[in-house]
Amino acid sequence: MKIDKSLPARKYKLYATWKRDMETLELPFPREWSHKEFNLPPDWKKIALKKMEEVVNKYRSVKLFLDICVKCGACTDKCPFFLGTLDPNNMPVARQDLFRSVYKKYFTLTGKIFGALVGAEELTEEMVELWYTYFYQCSQCRRCSVFCPYGIDTAEIMIAAREVLTAIGLSPRSLTEAIAKCETIGNHMGIPPAALLSAIQFAEEEIKEETGIEIKVPINKKGAEILYVPPSADFFGGPHWGTLKGVIKMFHQIGLDYTISTYASEGGNFGTWLGYEHMKKINKKLVEEARRLGVKWILGGECGHMWRVIHAFMDTMNGPLDFLEEPVSPITGTKFKHAASTKMVHICEFTADLIKHGKLKLDPSKNDQYIVTYHDSCNPARVMGLIEEPRYILKNVCRNYVELDPNVNREKTICCCAGGGLLADETIELRLKAVRPKIEAIKRTGANFLACICAIDKAAFTEYSDHFKLNITVGGVHELVGNALVFD
Amino acid sequence: MDPILFFIGSITPYIAFFVLIFGLAYRVVRWLSIPIPFRFPVAPAPVTRLGVLKRMSLDLFVFRSLLKGNKKLWIGGYVFHVALAITLISHILNVYFHYIWDVVGYFWYEAVLYSGIFFLAALIFLFVRRIVLPNVRYISKISDYIILILLIAIVFLGVYMRSFGLIDISAVSTYMYSLLTFNPTAPPDNIYFLTHYILAQILFIYIPFSKVSHLIGWILSTTRNKRNITRWRRHVNPWDYPVKIMTWEEYYEKFKDELETIGPGGERK
Repeated sequence: MKIDKSLPARKYKLYATWKRDMETLELPFPREWSHKEFNLPPDWKKIALKKMEEVVNKYRSVKLFLDICVKCGACTDKCPFFLGTLDPNNMPVARQDLFRSVYKKYFTLTGKIFGALVGAEELTEEMVELWYTYFYQCSQCRRCSVFCPYGIDTAEIMIAAREVLTAIGLSPRSLTEAIAKCETIGNHMGIPPAALLSAIQFAEEEIKEETGIEIKVPINKKGAEILYVPPSADFFGGPHWGTLKGVIKMFHQIGLDYTISTYASEGGNFGTWLGYEHMKKINKKLVEEARRLGVKWILGGECGHMWRVIHAFMDTMNGPLDFLEEPVSPITGTKFKHAASTKMVHICEFTADLIKHGKLKLDPSKNDQYIVTYHDSCNPARVMGLIEEPRYILKNVCRNYVELDPNVNREKTICCCAGGGLLADETIELRLKAVRPKIEAIKRTGANFLACICAIDKAAFTEYSDHFKLNITVGGVHELVGNALVFD
Repeated sequence: MDPILFFIGSITPYIAFFVLIFGLAYRVVRWLSIPIPFRFPVAPAPVTRLGVLKRMSLDLFVFRSLLKGNKKLWIGGYVFHVALAITLISHILNVYFHYIWDVVGYFWYEAVLYSGIFFLAALIFLFVRRIVLPNVRYISKISDYIILILLIAIVFLGVYMRSFGLIDISAVSTYMYSLLTFNPTAPPDNIYFLTHYILAQILFIYIPFSKVSHLIGWILSTTRNKRNITRWRRHVNPWDYPVKIMTWEEYYEKFKDELETIGPGGERK
């Protein structure tokens, strides 16, 4: 495996958080700074080391993973960011080593005694610059962990490492801007209630024109049975628009008693990539809204990292959710026992169950203009293990379905390379390099529709398909469901 | 007894063994003392304990994750670990059986030599690989080479003295047995054996402080040993703390006019 020691990826840095957003989010050291001039607080080193000590004593996995890596190199060629740039610091183990070397220097006996001999290094301003650069070139997709003999997960180390960066006032605008909007307006896109209403009305009109049916989507409706929470991108248009319409049409056909909320209009959670506190805050809004509206359970839309939080963290952070009921599909009577505690079901699980019971009137030939392939997004695949349900749905709503190359599919998927806070204009060059193996795999299938169940996938792949001249439509699984629905 | 022989034959072996056992125990206790805030296995993950056992067993006995990603490294690593296991077992059995070889047969007596040869070959492969491959060289620290050199030296001496009959195994076994009964006699005064023996002691002491602690640490790997049941069994984070968010009431005040266009109280039925 070739590497490029000139560290070509070092030039890609996410832009700095605005001072006003640092103030809004009460982040440490609000100040003017940039990705080139960090303007670190005077005692940054002390603060960083203190935070580092805190995180290695807070997450067992982090300390364990820092201790037991044997540098075997199995992960080195698994990270898309390394494959795309050949920058050795983008090899998962080398990325971890930027953190591990400092950990060794200050927190291990061998590192204190033998120093560089065991790979221990001082925490310097240059190291912080490397941290900010490379810790934000990880989309936390966990692909490396699949191949690691011990399951060492770079994502978990990055979660901790980014907490250290945040503590010394370094966080990227691509995350904090969205988080600030979410916490003050209601969603990452900054869509205020009136605009959200317009979007929904617009979707209703379009559906009426296309199918002749009249639908009125309930908003903030108290006492509805189910709260539906999509990523806010769905209200925004673009490649997400079809998914919103598809879901609305499907809910109408089955006569579901549901509501959308403007207050909890964001399923996504950019806080996930910044640190525990904001992840919990954004997720809490959803829980509180379910409580206020008095719904029985929550249904979550097509979003990737949203489901990392819901599947793995929500119940732990904001539970127990005893005020809700164990989810039961009102249409099929299926008990979603696997969601008995979190009380939140993925829309693909819900729809797959509907199809299995024959509750949807579908005509898959309506999607005959498409050759469909499915992109496993990293969080549903490697955090939830949601791999079969979307495929089951797709095979029932379209007649031309093809799989991607097994090396970049299912749990081995190469992600869209835009998660983890990397969906920003300044990283486009990096992302185009990293996503190339996936694009090649998509090209090889000859598909003209890329189905995703993640808002970031949809946004990113639309961007990529323009660049690579892919001639492919990017959309949601439920866009195809919506197309195939038959109304008498 | 020669004072140096006494020191490396009767004092340091106990120190090395003590450091190894208690060092590793300390490491484990230290890891266990840190909370697991989330149940966060890498999916597709099993939902039953039996499934986890199967997943972990495949990782232990077949190195399945490594096999998925890197076949060459898998061969090197697998031969290395299997040879290591056979070598260790045969060392122990030879010490235990040394006086009844004629009864139990010479299988383990021979096995240690051949496993040693495979062991050495695998070590050299891993060492060369670490130097030759640019990506692996980049991530290698000096200590990563040192541990391989140490192992190569130990195994080479072992294979060498056995191949050329430079050592009386009975004498070694008698001595090792005396160590076990806490009544140590003098070790065989053989330069090959003594070097092999001292290096092995250094290795024992080094293990708990180094990456070699993966030999026990892998069991605690939370991405592998956790069941994927997070949505039906609540996992408690011991250091969780409350957070404050914008409440609905605050939100309503802020967007009152807009919400009223949706419907009374922001409600649209």
